[in-house]
Amino acid sequence: MSETKQAIRNISVLAAFLAAVLLLWQAVSSLALLPSYAFPSPVQVGGRLAELAVDGSLWPSVRASLVRMALGFSVSAALGLLLGLAMGMSETVSTCLRSVFLGLQTLPSAAWVPISLLVFGLSDTAIYFVIVMSSTTAMAIATADGISHIPPVLLRAAQTLGTTRRAMSTRVVLPAALPSIVTGIKLGWTLGWHGVVSAELIKSSVGLGFLLHAGRELNDAAQVIGVMLVTVFIGLTLDRLLFAAVERRVRTRWGFAPAVTRA
Amino acid sequence: MTSARPFVPGAEAVPTAAPARITMVGVTKTFVTPRARVDALGPVSLEVAEGEFVVLAGPSGCGKTTLLNLIAGFEPPSDGEILVDGKPVTGPGPDRVMIFQEPALFPWLNVLDNVAFGLRQHAHLSAAERRAIAEHQLELVHLEGFARAFVHELSGGMKQRAALARALATAPRALLCDEPFGSLDALTRERLYAEIQELHSRTRRTVLFVTHNTREAACLADRVLVLTARPARIKRVITVDLPRPRDFYDARVSVLAGRILAELRSEITENRGRNDERDQAGD
Repeated sequence: MSETKQAIRNISVLAAFLAAVLLLWQAVSSLALLPSYAFPSPVQVGGRLAELAVDGSLWPSVRASLVRMALGFSVSAALGLLLGLAMGMSETVSTCLRSVFLGLQTLPSAAWVPISLLVFGLSDTAIYFVIVMSSTTAMAIATADGISHIPPVLLRAAQTLGTTRRAMSTRVVLPAALPSIVTGIKLGWTLGWHGVVSAELIKSSVGLGFLLHAGRELNDAAQVIGVMLVTVFIGLTLDRLLFAAVERRVRTRWGFAPAVTRA
Repeated sequence: MTSARPFVPGAEAVPTAAPARITMVGVTKTFVTPRARVDALGPVSLEVAEGEFVVLAGPSGCGKTTLLNLIAGFEPPSDGEILVDGKPVTGPGPDRVMIFQEPALFPWLNVLDNVAFGLRQHAHLSAAERRAIAEHQLELVHLEGFARAFVHELSGGMKQRAALARALATAPRALLCDEPFGSLDALTRERLYAEIQELHSRTRRTVLFVTHNTREAACLADRVLVLTARPARIKRVITVDLPRPRDFYDARVSVLAGRILAELRSEITENRGRNDERDQAGD
């Protein structure tokens, strides 16, 4: 019961804080320090978003970004798991790939856009490429790290109980590395979402990134900020919907302390 | 290997072949790391008969665990030969199941699935049969109420009992026990002594049991091998012919534990003497 109370209290605190931020924003914008095309008020942003929703330009873009993300992220998660497993199981593979992947991770998602346009032209493939390059390496490294931290006694226990070499990866190694893999997938999701929006900024005729770009072309800061808020909202919601439940289940099963982050 | 006889409902586990005979001939183990070279073992030669309960007692750090690891097949010996029923050990195998100092249960499985884990190797068992065996094994260690529990929800003693059930479910021909009760409280441990003796007399598996607890050795063993300090060699063989089941506080067990303790003490003293000589020689 008190847990529910605590949750209600936390949600109220968060809501009050966000309301305060909006009020402050509205107050500052009403001082008119900057022209409204550069610094719109929350009311203007909300109004513009409503227009976009009504005139039918928001929803197709949201859908386009989500569909690209779903496809690109599925490929990237599968690749990341396989590469991470290979790195975790083989010292040689790990030596070859680890520093390369760490190096690639220092590239911002947007840095993959020019090369992907050169190679794949103005196609959706270019966007998938950016998503995969932005998020695969993080998931591979998280998976490999999870594997390297498996207590050796668990591997020995599985061996002595007759687990064959072939069955080891699916029956023991991947499940044992699950907490780290879940963390990696969460991180990969965020990076992939960066990737899809970055790619759409430069190449696209539909998508959240496209709406951001169009807003800038039209000197429409209300649209830009509105679409940014939508991007944040979708990223956060999917993280909560898709991964928070999985993470909670893993933590409960392993007996870890409950995650600190909640909202 | 286990024969492919069909599972009989009510049978306690997978049908077992005869218990294993374990032979070691001139086995040594040396660990070489960039920082040190450690002679951990030997040379050790020993023979454990089918169904025999042999306890290896030795001072801490003498190489007892190394010896079990070699028999389990986790590491190859540096020299010598390890045979199970006359066949060389080439790697870990379910005919010799090891029980570790820590329970080593799998946190991603509930207690029942942990106990059923090793049964997957028996292709002739259906999922329902694996389940039935695992449930029966849980009953034998009095954990039937915890089948659905997560591993971290068990106490230390319950975890170690679950690990025992997991090892026994596969009906290994030999059990290798590496101080499995070392971290348990005295009451739990004493109950497990009774259970493991009962189990041994019922199933007659070969057991190799490592401990530094002399009373534990006297209570459980058919034969106690007292080991020297590192590198471990067999210093003394003590045959125990007390009637079973033995009570942990039986006077005869105490007397025998005293004898084993005296052997261990003299080994520690002698070893200190040897080290002093070595140090002087090095000066």
